[in-house]
Amino acid sequence: MPPDSPAPAPPAPAIWDEMVDGQGRVRPAWRGVAALLASLPEGGLAARAVRLDRALAEDGVAALLPSERASGTVEPPWRCDPVPLVLGAAEFARLAAGVAQRARLIAAVLEDLYGAQRLLARGLIAPGPVFADPAFLRPCRAPPLPGPHLTMLACDLVRGPDGAWRVVADRPGVPEGAGLARENRRLLASLAPEAFRFARVRELRPFFEAWADALQRAAVAANPRIALLTAGTAHEAWFEHVLLARDLGCVLVEGADLTARDGRVFLKTLKGLMPIDVILRGVEGRLVDPLELAPDSLIGVAGLLDAARSGGVRILNAPGTDLAAAPAIAAALPKLAEHLLGEALALPGLGSAAAIAPSVTPTFDGTGLVPRPFALRLFALRDAGGAWRVMPGGLARVLEAGADPARGLAERGVAKDVWVLAEDEADLIGPPALAAPPLAIRRASAELPSRVADDLYWLGRYVERLENAARLIRAVLIRLGRGSLLPRDLAELRALAACLAEAGVIAAEVAAAPPDGALLPRALLAACRPHHALPDLFERIGRLARAVRDRFTADMWATLAHLSGEARGALDRAGRDAEMLAEATAAALRFSAGLAGIAAENMVRGGGWMFLDLGRRIERAANTARDLARVLDLPPARIDSGLVLALELCDSVITYRSRYLAALQPAPVLDLVLADPTNPRAIAFQFAQIVERLSEVQGLPEGDLAQASRGLRAEVEAMVERVAASAEPAVEAVLLPKALRGIAERTGALSDAIARRYFSHVPASRRVGFGAESEEPMG
Amino acid sequence: MRYRVVHRTAYTYGEAVDLAAHLLHLTPRPLPGQTVLAATITAEPEPARSVTAEDHFGNVATWLFHTEPHADFVVTLEAEVEVAFPAPPEPGSTLPWEAVRDLVAAGGPEAWAQAEFAVASPMAPRDGQAGRYVRDSFPPGRPILAGLLELTARIRRDFAFRPGTTTLATPIAQVMQTRAGVCQDFAHLMIGGLRALGLPARYVSGYIRTRPKPGAERRRGADQSHAWVGVWLGPDHGWVDLDPTNDLVVRDEHVVLAWGRDYADVSPVRGIILGGGRHSLAVSVDLEPVTG
Repeated sequence: MPPDSPAPAPPAPAIWDEMVDGQGRVRPAWRGVAALLASLPEGGLAARAVRLDRALAEDGVAALLPSERASGTVEPPWRCDPVPLVLGAAEFARLAAGVAQRARLIAAVLEDLYGAQRLLARGLIAPGPVFADPAFLRPCRAPPLPGPHLTMLACDLVRGPDGAWRVVADRPGVPEGAGLARENRRLLASLAPEAFRFARVRELRPFFEAWADALQRAAVAANPRIALLTAGTAHEAWFEHVLLARDLGCVLVEGADLTARDGRVFLKTLKGLMPIDVILRGVEGRLVDPLELAPDSLIGVAGLLDAARSGGVRILNAPGTDLAAAPAIAAALPKLAEHLLGEALALPGLGSAAAIAPSVTPTFDGTGLVPRPFALRLFALRDAGGAWRVMPGGLARVLEAGADPARGLAERGVAKDVWVLAEDEADLIGPPALAAPPLAIRRASAELPSRVADDLYWLGRYVERLENAARLIRAVLIRLGRGSLLPRDLAELRALAACLAEAGVIAAEVAAAPPDGALLPRALLAACRPHHALPDLFERIGRLARAVRDRFTADMWATLAHLSGEARGALDRAGRDAEMLAEATAAALRFSAGLAGIAAENMVRGGGWMFLDLGRRIERAANTARDLARVLDLPPARIDSGLVLALELCDSVITYRSRYLAALQPAPVLDLVLADPTNPRAIAFQFAQIVERLSEVQGLPEGDLAQASRGLRAEVEAMVERVAASAEPAVEAVLLPKALRGIAERTGALSDAIARRYFSHVPASRRVGFGAESEEPMG
Repeated sequence: MRYRVVHRTAYTYGEAVDLAAHLLHLTPRPLPGQTVLAATITAEPEPARSVTAEDHFGNVATWLFHTEPHADFVVTLEAEVEVAFPAPPEPGSTLPWEAVRDLVAAGGPEAWAQAEFAVASPMAPRDGQAGRYVRDSFPPGRPILAGLLELTARIRRDFAFRPGTTTLATPIAQVMQTRAGVCQDFAHLMIGGLRALGLPARYVSGYIRTRPKPGAERRRGADQSHAWVGVWLGPDHGWVDLDPTNDLVVRDEHVVLAWGRDYADVSPVRGIILGGGRHSLAVSVDLEPVTG
């Protein structure tokens, strides 16, 4: 062998195991968890995993992330592993110091790149890649944005075979995952509380308190309003944003909820414009202001940068910090640490190594524990005093085979809670809570964003629409189940089919066909199949519910998610099996009743609840009027058949019997379903409620919209009076359909008026004179 | 030469605009060869808020915010400017083009900042086709300005000036195919081609005199917003402006508003409006010499 030939490659180094050392001994930090695992009965781990899955599904992860919507599966995209990752106190202290140093360094680099650019002039960072990077936002450099630009940072780390941690990616733009990390802790603490007895684990709460405090103090104003700017429900970070907004006490907003005026930023609410002092940025920096940054951004606010520059609002992190993730900067960090901090970089990056084999940690795979590679995300925060604090915990993500640990949060995967062991009691309790300035008392209703009111209103309408369809289908099924059909049954079926056609559940041709044929049952099954009437309603309901997810408490959401999952499952089965149709309608009715119950018992009677209820009442008034118009469309001699259906569809059969005992008569039946102010199914009841809601929303009892509703109620009452006063009530009753259709139409007009008044001031904005779209004549 | 500039931009909307935010690059930039004697921007209706500040490139930018409904929006620049840009250096005395390229790539004093104009930008990417076209004027070792003068002459000769055939969305590749366009097409293709060679080139927005000098032919791109190209010749000679549409070195017939990587950095008037429906736009530009 020639002397200068390379030595044979050494054998591939072993992969580092987090729990067990090279001699097969459990590492000291893991002893508590190892003892816990040993103490679990057979199947204990599996039971915990199932509980965690269910809790996550009910908390909304399963129902929220985009992958689920695309594939239609119910499998939760994110799972929380029952076994945490453990970091010893000394090891975490080293990591935290390294992450804090990195944060100081990246913050200093950003101040320079968005300032004097001395680092480029001296060649410490290659200028070309920075200038070519779309994340370098020139409008954030001049005119200058008040700093500091960086106030939050996340770092993704892996531990190599040599036991050393390396940073594979910095997340200086939008450091996602802190909300998910805290959610994992919350779940583990509530579902496996005994686990925490085996180890003294540091709490996450003080970190979040310091975060909330830093947001408060970032504002110039006292008692500031803080908003988390999100890209909305279609964005993969939506759930993270919902969690964070809850943890940090900020209002969750989309770009369209905000408007910039006079160098300030305002939230559009039902009661007008509400100033926002601090924006926690949850979207890419270049998307926040279409006037000066990406002009095609649909989620930004024109004038936001101007407001930030003039001090009217603080944006954290400032737009433009995303630039620090550029490879040219990451590669220069060791040099920059020496130059800017006079220190050696404590946590190295990957350097020239293309990849390293990440360490493994025990992970539950459905049957037992297997060692799986993972990446660790840690979070740093610049607190109100200007010091960088690192969350004593984090998010460990199990890496699929071949996954790049430097990639962002995947759409699905397994996450682990990260336990940082406390050194002493002081750590365990955490530092005393920071003194926050006293909060002024606020009533939430006034600050309801118009978009949220809009979404809640339509949520109410669609749930009621679903309920109406389910009631109609159930009435059909009861009759079809009778076997031999009497002429009276057939007449009722025809009326019901007409109602179903009008509700858009079945086609008009089906309603016109003989109701005892095969067409009607087949059409009802078809209505349960994907992308048809009922699943489509559920889609809309799901989309709206996700959009207002932050308005529901965890308990409310869990109930809703559970009932919705049940109903969707039943519908799915009904689409394939006629026997299941009755169960599906029952499940849909349970879902609707569940939402009503949740809203009644758990929602503050503020703007949110008012609009949910308003939507429901409007829809019910219109549907009931339309359905009654159909079922009463009979010759006078057959009015009984219509009265039976009217009572059945209005869920008023038992009330009628208990009041009147005797046979059906038009006036008492119509009074019960139309005018009775105590029957929550009667049309007049809906209008009475609408009057109340509108008076509350408008803040005055005699508003024009409330007046319109009052007029509709009076008209319905007059109908009943006409029938009652008539010598031939049946003849008078069959004249009602025309008037009832008029009521339904005018209810629709009232809905439009409500929408115009409260929702429509969120029009889409347009660009003029921009690059490719400019009409500027050029020569 | 002293000029009076009037540039009026008028939008008429089909429906009322409820809220508008505009960013203007509409104030002539003070430069060693250009003295801005007066410059006023007036907007109708009066904006609720207006801000004037220097942007990243050192241009004067103006922000206008309207919060009251309005059916028309007129913004007018009126300015008086004295221009006398120095004569370009003797072409043979300028650096070989490769030396300029290498200086920018290596960084160092002055050269580092020019890297910003040598990398691709959204509307003036390092276009391969334009690069091959430009390269014919840059054989090895040729002094950079000699190559540039030949290049502007070729563009003037090879490309037809044909208003209306292109829009601002027309990519360089298409202009290379059809060999026709207007000023910003020629500017973008020249910039993209020079960048493909690693040379720093920037987009300059401004005006050219409306009526020609006595005895001269009428300039292309008059009565409108005009655009040309700045190129960095190295630390000794700095930036020189060339107008490929008219095959001119910029001396005393142009007024500079602003420069950037491409049109998108310096569009004269752009905005985000709420409402408005269909709109129509009328623009007029006048650049007349002032005597006395």
